[in-house]
Amino acid sequence: MTFTERMLKIDRRIIFLVIGLCTLLPLLYPVGLPIKISPEVRGVYDHIESLPEGAVFLLSLDFDPASKPELHPQSISLLRHAFRKNLRVIAMTLWVSGTGMADQVVTQVAREMGKESGKDYVFLGWSPGGTAVIINMGQDLYGAFPADYNGKPTKGLPVLQGVANLRDVNYAVSLGAGNPGVEAWYVFGKDKYKFELGGGCTGVMAPGLYPLLRSGQINGLIGGLRGAAEYEILIDQKGKAVAGMDAQSATHLAIIVLVIMCNLFYFSSRKQRVQGQG
Amino acid sequence: MSIETIIGGWVATGLTLFIFTFLYKDNPLFKLAENLYVGVSVGYTIIKTYDTVVVQLIWKPIVENGEWALLIPVAIGTLMLTRYVPKAAWISRYAFAFIVGVGSGLAIPRTISSFILKQIEDTVRPLLTLVPGEGVTFTWNLLNPASSLNTIIILVGVSSVLFYFFFSVEHTGPGKVVARIGIMFLMIAFGAAFGYTVMARMSLLIGRLTDLIEFTDPSYGRPSLWLAGLTILTLVVMARRSSSKQPKTEE
Repeated sequence: MTFTERMLKIDRRIIFLVIGLCTLLPLLYPVGLPIKISPEVRGVYDHIESLPEGAVFLLSLDFDPASKPELHPQSISLLRHAFRKNLRVIAMTLWVSGTGMADQVVTQVAREMGKESGKDYVFLGWSPGGTAVIINMGQDLYGAFPADYNGKPTKGLPVLQGVANLRDVNYAVSLGAGNPGVEAWYVFGKDKYKFELGGGCTGVMAPGLYPLLRSGQINGLIGGLRGAAEYEILIDQKGKAVAGMDAQSATHLAIIVLVIMCNLFYFSSRKQRVQGQG
Repeated sequence: MSIETIIGGWVATGLTLFIFTFLYKDNPLFKLAENLYVGVSVGYTIIKTYDTVVVQLIWKPIVENGEWALLIPVAIGTLMLTRYVPKAAWISRYAFAFIVGVGSGLAIPRTISSFILKQIEDTVRPLLTLVPGEGVTFTWNLLNPASSLNTIIILVGVSSVLFYFFFSVEHTGPGKVVARIGIMFLMIAFGAAFGYTVMARMSLLIGRLTDLIEFTDPSYGRPSLWLAGLTILTLVVMARRSSSKQPKTEE
């Protein structure tokens, strides 16, 4: 067996080990590679920056623990930014399996920023119906969520003063890991009730959402861990996303090298086969 | 640090390591973590749904607030349960008809408006722009999504890909060239999607490894180190046992 053939039949566990080391080493010994801010992430940041104090910001955490590494840092950064700007934050989720995690992240950031539940923010929790919940909120927010996650009636909460439905929301961001997510919020929310919408999503979903960004259907998009890292840089509070960027670059480099090597070995073995037959 | 946080750290570390053992080969530790994951997520969903729907949205409003009108949607929903009684299963069709009717009525116009009309509007942008004082201009900037050059690229891409999926005409002659261009655009789109998928999967790995590094902290009792050692030891023992059994079966 030639070297080329041996390399083409390499045990896949060696490749796993290489990728594992390429991820682990930069996490243990970070280099601090530069992170450039993309216009799509800046779109979300700039819009929140432009909102006046007391404006209504709706954050829909439409993901579950399976997408936590990508969307959790995004939600932390967005909440920190909104609380720092003294916006009235309405948080919710359309994913039943993400309810506990969403409550945890909202409560944790609110406590860190010294915000009070019911006065500065409210976590509405989950309501059944998926996309129908968005339509329901567009007609009557209190009908969709009669009580918040802690069972407190939503009617009369200071944070919701003057908010009857989605038309009273100044800016909404959906952090989606699938359906219902960003697309559902556009189709059943923004398109009908005319509020400004931004999006955050997992890396897998990002290419599918770029057409919405280009056409202006959403005004910004935070894509995957990279987008979260950019947002952390923008609000000047580095967290887990920035810490993971060196590892991300290292693994991408390793994968590019592996793809090139595989192609080289493949064409080399094919050439050897043709020569052998000749 | 609270005892719940420490126990949570140990459980998270153990289950992460058990799942990672699949990279070596399929084994009982992986199966344990996999089944536990499915069971816990289904259990969590059932409990949350029961609490939110049955208790908060049905029982409390009816019993405490006297909102008897809620019995109408409850009755329609209950019709679904007739699926379990073969003789009365036909009644569930009324509930399904209601859901399909309302769902389609809500989704079809909104989807056409959002994904077809808005996207067509964006695809057929003017190739030339009229700038006051400068007259008709053509912008060449590839990095600007709204440039004239990008408008042409998108128009060519959409047209050629649509033609590639138009099977009523044989793809020969000039048609073959257009279809080939369509394939090239598709390949670029698939490449971009795959690149993002790799990035997403690596992000998940980074997330788990970040947590494992965090759990090497003495305040947690270093579960990452202890459980990594234990997992490796278990795998070695299992590999030895299976290798010692193998010659016997061959005999």
